[in-house]
Amino acid sequence: MRRREFASFIGPSLLVMVGLLVLPLIRTVQWSFQEVNYGQAGTFIGLSNYTQALGDPRFGRAVFFTLLLTAIVTALILVVGYLVAIGVNGLGKLRPYILGSMLVAYVLPGVVGAVSFSWLFNSNFGGVLNLVIERLTGQELLWFTDTWPNRVMIIAHTVWHLLPFSVLMILAGLQGVPKELREAARIDGANALKMHLWVIIPTMRGIIGFVCLITIMDVLRTFDSLIPLSPQADAIGNESIMFYVFDNAFRDGSQQLGLGSAVNVLSILLILICLFPFIRDLLKEAKAKA
Amino acid sequence: MMPSTATAPATRVVVPAPKRRRRRANPTAAILLILLAVLMLAPFIWTALSVTKPTDVAFANPPVLSGYTPTLEAFKNLWETTYFAEYLVNTAVVAVISTVVALVLGIPAAYALSRFPGYVSAILLLLALVFRSLPRFAVVLPMYDISRALGIYDTNFALAAALVAINQPFSIWLLRNFFAEIPKELDEAAMIDGCTRWGTLRRIMIPLMRPGILTAGVFVFLFAFQEYLTALVLTDTASKTVPVFITTQLGQTLPMLQQAGAAAMLLTLPVIAISFIAQKYLVAGLSDGSVKG
Repeated sequence: MRRREFASFIGPSLLVMVGLLVLPLIRTVQWSFQEVNYGQAGTFIGLSNYTQALGDPRFGRAVFFTLLLTAIVTALILVVGYLVAIGVNGLGKLRPYILGSMLVAYVLPGVVGAVSFSWLFNSNFGGVLNLVIERLTGQELLWFTDTWPNRVMIIAHTVWHLLPFSVLMILAGLQGVPKELREAARIDGANALKMHLWVIIPTMRGIIGFVCLITIMDVLRTFDSLIPLSPQADAIGNESIMFYVFDNAFRDGSQQLGLGSAVNVLSILLILICLFPFIRDLLKEAKAKA
Repeated sequence: MMPSTATAPATRVVVPAPKRRRRRANPTAAILLILLAVLMLAPFIWTALSVTKPTDVAFANPPVLSGYTPTLEAFKNLWETTYFAEYLVNTAVVAVISTVVALVLGIPAAYALSRFPGYVSAILLLLALVFRSLPRFAVVLPMYDISRALGIYDTNFALAAALVAINQPFSIWLLRNFFAEIPKELDEAAMIDGCTRWGTLRRIMIPLMRPGILTAGVFVFLFAFQEYLTALVLTDTASKTVPVFITTQLGQTLPMLQQAGAAAMLLTLPVIAISFIAQKYLVAGLSDGSVKG
């Protein structure tokens, strides 16, 4: 493909992305060094916003909680997602129904799913799961005001919401594992566990990496679900980084746009660090192809 | 795997498809999966129950499970006392417009990326990936500022434009992987026969890519339909979307809470229909292209 053709194909899309993603991003970086309000020109104040954020224990708690959530959810999603995908793959006629039912959790708008999920646990609204768990364990857990019960609920919700995507992706990947490979392994005497560990998972490395990447990205920016699931997020240490930005930079009464922007820049750095292994792999692959 | 064997290059040896071994599903696994599926649907079922109860028992603790007459009062209330219909139209309009525009912009870009060899493609894809993972607020707060300055704050246009941009990297990435599966010889043949690049894309590639385009379209539509954060920041009253409406109802009176539940149901049902219809294409589409390493 000639250069000019390439430019004309990619131009419109690139224009939109530069105008609506790159320029706003540059503005965020500028704001992070300013004391500024919406609609006004800011004044340069150097690194104050950054020192303020890094010195704020509330920000530290938000970072800790977000990383904890990301680590736990990603691990659960990969393991459970793989097992469920194997199970679904072995199903016969039931398969479309099971898969369709599971996909509902993924396609529901995040906030809607979180509202429904919170009702299952909320004794004020006649929740059923809190009641069942109370009967089974004999103790009343404060799902919305105690740190760990609330965390368990948030983790459960996040896994519930993101699991179908990983099942779908891994299932799609399983279709691409050549039958000959499995048969050869079977002839060589591999049992089921060995087959998965040494044959199927290595051939699907690309997909599993992709699922891992998308899950990390999605959990790092947890925001919507906390509104119904953790109304007192800050007080019990279950606030996500994005929630911290929202509270400081947008919510009525506290429009510290500079501080919010600084946190945005910091979280971009954090995300890049988390994604570094994947980025390195992609670059390596690109080099190999070039 | 090719979308259609009829278009396979001539060098490909046609092997008769091996007879599928009919494997009986493991009953324990089947039962576990059915249980899991029910569990995954539980929040949805519970909400459906809550919104069809009379308001006085809807949120009673312990929950009332029988002895009431189911009612659709909450839906009627929702329709009559709120601007739900308007919010639903806003949500649908924004989702449809942003999906169409995202595909119109994304298809040529993805095609070009799949055909232009070497580093440029790789680096652009990497950028797409990084942009996909950005914290939303880092672009949405400046968009808020700019949209106020331009006077387009709280319009469907502003929200749709924002969503096109935000979803563009993902659309391009997904579509590019589908295009990469189509052999380049096909382009060359078409161009020898006198097609321009655009002609090749329009006449050859797009028809071949139908499952891929459908997959990308479904994803982008769902992302737009679900979007909460962007809509929260970029809309106020005129172009409010259903997810934002639902959260404003929380923490209000019980009837309003029930309306929120009813709104959630109405927003969900079409999406469920889409997911049931599309899941077959999604699995086929995804295994055709996007996710081969």
